[in-house]
Amino acid sequence: MDTLKVRDAKDVEEVVRAAIAGEQPLEIIGHGTKRAIGHPMATNAVLDVSALNAVTSYEPNELIITVEAGAPLADVQSLIDAKNQQFAFEPMDSAVLLGAAAAGTIGGMIGAGLAGPRRIRAGGARDHLLGAHAVSGFGDSFKTGGRVVKNVTGYDLCKLLTGSWGTLAVMTEVTIKVMPKPESERTLVLHALDEVTANKAMTAALGSPFDVSGAAHLPAAALRSGAEAFGSLAGAGQGVTLVRLEGIAASVAHRAGSLSQALSSYGTVDSLADAASAAVWSALRDVRPFAANGTLGASPVWRIVCPPAVGGTLGQALARETGGEVIYDWGGGLIWAAVPPGADAQAALVRKQVEAIGGHATLLRASDEVRRNVDVFQPQPAGLAALGERVRASFDPKSILNRGRMKRGGAA
Amino acid sequence: MSIMMPAADQAVLDRRGEIVAALRAIVPGEGVIDSAAEMLAYESDGLTAYRQPPMVVVLPDTTEQVAKVLKYCHGQGIKVVPRGSGTSLSGGALPLADGVLLGLGKFKRIREIDFDNRVVVTEPGVTNLAISQAVAHAGFYYAPDPSSQIACSIGGNVAENSGGVHCLKYGMTTNNVLGCEIVLMNGEILRIGGKAAENAGYDLMGIITGSEGLLGVITEITVRILQKPETARALMVGFAEVEAAGECVARIIGAGIIPGGMEMMDKPAIHAAEAFVHAGYPLDVEALLIIELDGPSIEVDELINRVETIAKGCGSVTLQISNSEAERNLFWAGRKAAFPAVGRISPDYLCMDGTIPRGALPKALARIRELSEKYGLGVANVFHAGDGNLHPLILYDANKPGEIEKAEAFGADILRCCVELGGVLTGEHGVGIEKRDLMPEMFTEIDLNQQQRLKCAFDAQGLLNPGKVFPTLHRCAELGRVHVHAGKLAFPDIPRF
Ligand SMILES: Cc1cc2nc3c(=O)[nH]c(=O)nc-3n(C[C@H](O)[C@H](O)[C@H](O)COP(=O)(O)OP(=O)(O)OC[C@H]3O[C@@H](n4cnc5c(N)ncnc54)[C@H](O)[C@@H]3O)c2cc1C
Repeated sequence: MDTLKVRDAKDVEEVVRAAIAGEQPLEIIGHGTKRAIGHPMATNAVLDVSALNAVTSYEPNELIITVEAGAPLADVQSLIDAKNQQFAFEPMDSAVLLGAAAAGTIGGMIGAGLAGPRRIRAGGARDHLLGAHAVSGFGDSFKTGGRVVKNVTGYDLCKLLTGSWGTLAVMTEVTIKVMPKPESERTLVLHALDEVTANKAMTAALGSPFDVSGAAHLPAAALRSGAEAFGSLAGAGQGVTLVRLEGIAASVAHRAGSLSQALSSYGTVDSLADAASAAVWSALRDVRPFAANGTLGASPVWRIVCPPAVGGTLGQALARETGGEVIYDWGGGLIWAAVPPGADAQAALVRKQVEAIGGHATLLRASDEVRRNVDVFQPQPAGLAALGERVRASFDPKSILNRGRMKRGGAA
Repeated sequence: MSIMMPAADQAVLDRRGEIVAALRAIVPGEGVIDSAAEMLAYESDGLTAYRQPPMVVVLPDTTEQVAKVLKYCHGQGIKVVPRGSGTSLSGGALPLADGVLLGLGKFKRIREIDFDNRVVVTEPGVTNLAISQAVAHAGFYYAPDPSSQIACSIGGNVAENSGGVHCLKYGMTTNNVLGCEIVLMNGEILRIGGKAAENAGYDLMGIITGSEGLLGVITEITVRILQKPETARALMVGFAEVEAAGECVARIIGAGIIPGGMEMMDKPAIHAAEAFVHAGYPLDVEALLIIELDGPSIEVDELINRVETIAKGCGSVTLQISNSEAERNLFWAGRKAAFPAVGRISPDYLCMDGTIPRGALPKALARIRELSEKYGLGVANVFHAGDGNLHPLILYDANKPGEIEKAEAFGADILRCCVELGGVLTGEHGVGIEKRDLMPEMFTEIDLNQQQRLKCAFDAQGLLNPGKVFPTLHRCAELGRVHVHAGKLAFPDIPRF
C-alpha cells in the first residue's frame, strides 16, 4: 500500500485530487496511533500528514497557538508547558488503551476529539479549536474560524471537524486555545461508596459553587485492575470516589475545606495534594485500568457518554449484565466499560441500556474482526443519520477520505 | 443603505391571499397576522436602519405547527425568516417582502429544570434572563449574558451564538448548549444531543449554534447551568493612554489570570456613560478598564491584589476597588448602559462588532480615530477587552442626507482593519445582512462555497432566511459538483513509503 507523505497543503490538494480522479479512497493519518479506532477501512493509499509538523506561531498572551496538523502533540504540549499553559480539555493519550506507541499528532487529537476529565469544567476539544485550514474531499483548501477566541463569522466548521475522524477534510493547520495551568490542585477522596451513592456524591460536588474540575469513581474491581497506576489508593481494596479542585493555593485549600464538609455525610474525606493528585488524574484520563498491556488488555472497551446523574445506575447494570468492569468520569457522564472478549463486544446489550437513558456508546477498542461486525459509533435515528450523511457528503461527496471509518459498510 | 436583498418573487406575492389562508388553516386565530398596521412591529430588528414588512407573520405555538408551516412553504417554494425577540444587531431577522416571518414568541415555556444533571430544557422564546431567574433559587444561573438579556430569546442566542461580558471565562452560547429540537425547512423534526456532554456522530449542535436561522428553526434547547460563584468584586482602572490599558489587559492574561469579565471604554464612551448613569467614572482618562474577579472570596481578594499590582505597573492613573455589591454594580452600570448612553448624545448610531488579537488593541484604536476624522463622524468605543471584541459605536444622523451611507462605509473600513490585524468581522453579533457583503474580506470563494454546501445539506432549496450571511447565493447542484482533474498521474511527485 502506498503511504504518501505530504509536505504542504498543496501536496494534500494534489493527493486528494488524484484520489478523486482515480476513485481511490484515502486513509488519513497523523502518527496513526488511533488507527485501531473506528471501522477497518478498504482504502488503498495512506495520506500521512505527520511531516506537516511546524509550529506556525505561539502567542501566550493571546492564549492561542497555531500549528500544522502533523505536529507531535507531545512537542506542542512541552512548548506550552514551558509558558505554564495547557490544553484545558486534557486530551487523553489513547496509546495506553490501544497499545500503540506513545505518539500522536495535533490533527489526530482534533480528529478524535477525545477530551479528558476536565471536560466538565473546561469543555471538550470542540470548545478549544478556534480555526482550521483543511482540504476537503473536493480537493480544495479552505479555512474556517480564525485566530481569535471570539468569532461568529460564518458557520463554525471547527465544531464539525473536531471528532470527525478524518471523514470530512484533511486538516493542514489549526489554531487552538491554550489556558493558564492552575497553580495548584487537590483531590478529595471518598472511600467504599457503591456506584449509585458515588454518583450522588459527585452530583453534590458538581452542584456546589466550589468549581470542581474533575469528578470520577473507580469501583473496587477497576482499581484492582489498575493497581499499579493508582498506588496507595488501590491499597484498601475498596472503590474510591475522586473530586478535583484546581486554582490558586489559598482558594483550593478553602474550597477543599468547604467541600469536604459538604460531602461529610458520605464518609471520611481524604485528600491528595499536587503531584499525587496529578498522577491519579492522568491515569484516569488514559483509562490505565483497561490498558492494552494490563490484565484487561484483551477486553473490548466501550466509551459511553450519558446524562451524568444516571451514570451510576447505568454503569452498575452494565457491569452486572456484561460481566465486565466500569470506570466513571465526568461526574457519571462518561463511562468506560471493559467487557469480556466475544464476537460482538455485547453491543446489543450495551446499546440498549445506554440508549434507554439518552446516552451513546462508541466501541473504542476491539479487534478488527469485532469492529467489522459491530457498529463502532452509535447508530442514529433515520432522520439524523440522513442529515449526518448529507453533511458528510457536503465535504466529501465521493467519500475519498477515510471511507467507511465511521459507518459500517457505509460511505463514511 | 447599500445592502440589496434578493428580489421579491411576484408570483408568490400574487398568491398572498391563498398563502395566508393556508397558514390560517395550520395556525388558527391570532397566530397569523396579515394587516399592514400589525405587521409594522416586525418590519425590523435591532439594526433599525433596515426595514421591510414581511408578506405575512405567523406565530405558531407548537413544534407540529412549525413543522406544518415549513412543510407547506417548502412545498410552495415560499421563503421563511425565523425571528425570536428581534434584537439582532446584524439584521438577521429582517423580513423579506415575499417571505413568511415565523416568530417564536409563543414558545415561552421552560419545559424542565434538572438540577442533578445541571441543565434546563426550554422553549426558544424564553428570554435569556428568564432562564437564570428560573434557577436562581437554587444558586444556579445560565452563564452567557448578552447586554440585551432581558429581551433577547434563547433561540436567538443559539442562532447568533451570542456572548456577553462573562464569556471570557464562561464561554459563548456554543460552549453552554447541549442539545436542541430543530425543524428543517422540509418540515422534518429532529432531536440533536440532550443532557449528555457530547452528542453522537458529527457535532451538529455545534454547527447549528451560530447558524443565524439559515439551517433550521429551533423549537427546544437544552442549556447547561452553573452554580453562581461565591462572590465577585471589580476594579475600575483609568489610564492616560490607551496603549497602557491594552498592555494591562495583556499582562493580566499573561499572568495566568482569567477574569470573569474585562471591559474597556474610551473617552467618548466614558463621558456618554457618566452623563447618563453617574457611576463616578473618571472623566480625564483616555481609557477605563472594568475588571471583575469571581470565585471564593479568598481567591477574589488575592486576585484583586495581583491585578492591582499589574495595573499600577502599567501606569494606571485612577484605581478603585469595589467593596460592596452596590459599588460593583455601579462600576458596571455605565458599561451596561453604554449603548443607550451613546443613543442620548447622537440621533443615531451603528454598533460594530469586530474582533482583533488583544495585542492589536492600541493599533486598532488609532486606526479608528483616523477613520473618524476621515469620515467626519464621531465614534465611541466599548470593548470586551479580555477577548479582543470591539464595539465601536459610530455616531450619525439619519436625517442628514448621505450620513447613513458614510457611517456604513466607516464601519466597513473598521471591520476591514480588524481582518488586517489578524481578527474577524464579527465576534458575537453575527453576519446577518450587515456584514454579508464583507465576507470576502475574510473568506475566499472556496471557503464560502464550503459553508454554502453545508447549508445545502439542511435546506437544499435555500428557502430559509435567504439574503443573509452569504454575499452570493449558488444553487446547491452547482456547489455539489466535483471537478475531476483528469489526465494527471496518480499522486505525482509526493514522497512515498
Ligand atoms: C441593546 C442591545 C445589546 C446587545 N448586547 C449583546 C451582547 O452583549 N452580546 C451579544 O452577543 N449580542 C448582543 N445583542 C444582539 C442580540 O441581542 C443577540 O444577537 C440576540 O441573541 C438576538 O436574540 P433575539 O431573540 O432577539 O433574536 P432575533 O433578533 O429575533 O433573531 C436573530 C437571528 O436568529 C434567528 N433566530 C431567532 N430565533 C430562532 C429560532 N428559534 N430558530 C432559528 N433561528 C432563530 C433569526 O432568524 C435571526 O437570524 C444586543 C442587542 C441589543 C439591541
